[in-house]
Amino acid sequence: MKNRLKVLRAERDWSQGDLAERLEVSRQSVNAIETGKYDPSLPLAFRIADLFGLPIEDIFLKD
Amino acid sequence: MAQNPAQRRYMRRMVVLSAAYIAAVMLASWLIPDDAAATPLTVAIALVPALATSGFIWAMARYVAELKDEYVRMLEIRKMLVATGLTLALASGWGILELFTTVPRVQLFYVFPVWCLGLAVGSLVNKVTIGDGGPCL
Repeated sequence: MKNRLKVLRAERDWSQGDLAERLEVSRQSVNAIETGKYDPSLPLAFRIADLFGLPIEDIFLKD
Repeated sequence: MAQNPAQRRYMRRMVVLSAAYIAAVMLASWLIPDDAAATPLTVAIALVPALATSGFIWAMARYVAELKDEYVRMLEIRKMLVATGLTLALASGWGILELFTTVPRVQLFYVFPVWCLGLAVGSLVNKVTIGDGGPCL
């Protein structure tokens, strides 16, 4: 699944580590989600959406 | 990578259980003479180290259950699935060889160490397929 995580993170000038800390996951996880290697669970996707103040569908896009 | 709390707890449990295992094996070796008959007493003493190996499995189960990072948990579970598949395939294959040929008999004791080696293979599979081997424990 494609996502806009890298762009949203860059807009806020956050590193992968910064985002990982805010989501309470490892930097590995953020990297895997950003690069599309791992699709997050629904609860984690909601946490990401809440953090950016956006609906899930504005962050995660259909292939 | 820095260890998360679940990994730290796992390492602590494994250190304690490893010490208990070594002590139990030494005690059993000292108390049970070579080629001893399987009496209730010798069986009971010989099973003490098995409690520690069961403890290893419990510690691994707790580790997976306590991991809060779902991506790392997925990597660990994939490693365990590879290890389980590999161990079952090797054990079944060798068992059939033993049934039909005169290959040396392998003691069941080696199943667990083979499974642990399978974790390393699982890490390699993660590295090749996802590009991330997961935490080294």
